[in-house]
Amino acid sequence: MDGQLGYLFAGFAVFWAGLFVYLLLLQARIRTLSREVERLEDRLEEAEATGTPPRTGAGR
Amino acid sequence: MSAAQRLYRLRWVVLPPLTGIGILAMLVGAVVAAPRELVEGDVQRLMYIHIPSAFAMYLAVAVLFAASIMVLWKRDMRWDAAARGAAGVGVLFSGFALATGSLWGKPTWGVYWQWDARLTSTLVLFLILIAYLLARTVSDPDDEQSARYSAVYAIVGSLDVPLIMMSVRWWRTLHPQPIVARLDPQLPGSMGLVLLISTIAILLLTVWLIALRTDTERLGQRLLGLRAAVDRREEA
Repeated sequence: MDGQLGYLFAGFAVFWAGLFVYLLLLQARIRTLSREVERLEDRLEEAEATGTPPRTGAGR
Repeated sequence: MSAAQRLYRLRWVVLPPLTGIGILAMLVGAVVAAPRELVEGDVQRLMYIHIPSAFAMYLAVAVLFAASIMVLWKRDMRWDAAARGAAGVGVLFSGFALATGSLWGKPTWGVYWQWDARLTSTLVLFLILIAYLLARTVSDPDDEQSARYSAVYAIVGSLDVPLIMMSVRWWRTLHPQPIVARLDPQLPGSMGLVLLISTIAILLLTVWLIALRTDTERLGQRLLGLRAAVDRREEA
């Protein structure tokens, strides 16, 4: 049964590597979205400070 | 503010440390504390990932099902964000259940894959969830009509879960009968305890990931709203 340790290792590796990659991708997406949201909020704030306010509110 | 809302606000304070402690306990339990199974040997330790991953898949699909009903009932896109979050986590854990089951199956059954009812119905659920995510990805996050159609699809697709759960009872399968989800659990106490700890840890991880994914989806919806506001501002 010792030869089966490879399967045990592979199973744990799939789980942890999969979870790690998933979290990395999610973190990258959150970072990209947060930056874009921040940029657009700044742009709207600037526009409101200098000119007429937008006709309606900003999203949900 | 309701108790559920107060609890949801605490998600980033409570969930990460609890999940961390649970995962650490799961690792120690599965690799060190749990006894070596006499017939299968050490490869049986895959059970401490495989079974909790299947439970996590069921939990994610239950959230997808409930959130999809709320999308149709309340017509509130915040529920669509929760549904998409749950579907993404469901894909992850159904993938883990299939992969670890396959790696456990090879040394014990002699094959990685068998087209039996339990394995095939789980693969079908995995594909249903991928199709749901694809359908939601090709439409805008704030497209309400697409969200409603996808909710109907998700509710129908979720019906695969009872089929997966009952498959080993209704058909003759290579996959064994349940050993824990029954009135007289078939595991020795120490193995049962480690499995319980692993299940709690992975379910906490699932809840945390669903919350994280839901917040990400809502951030995407907010971004679309902001883009629309900027466009309107520039047109004015």
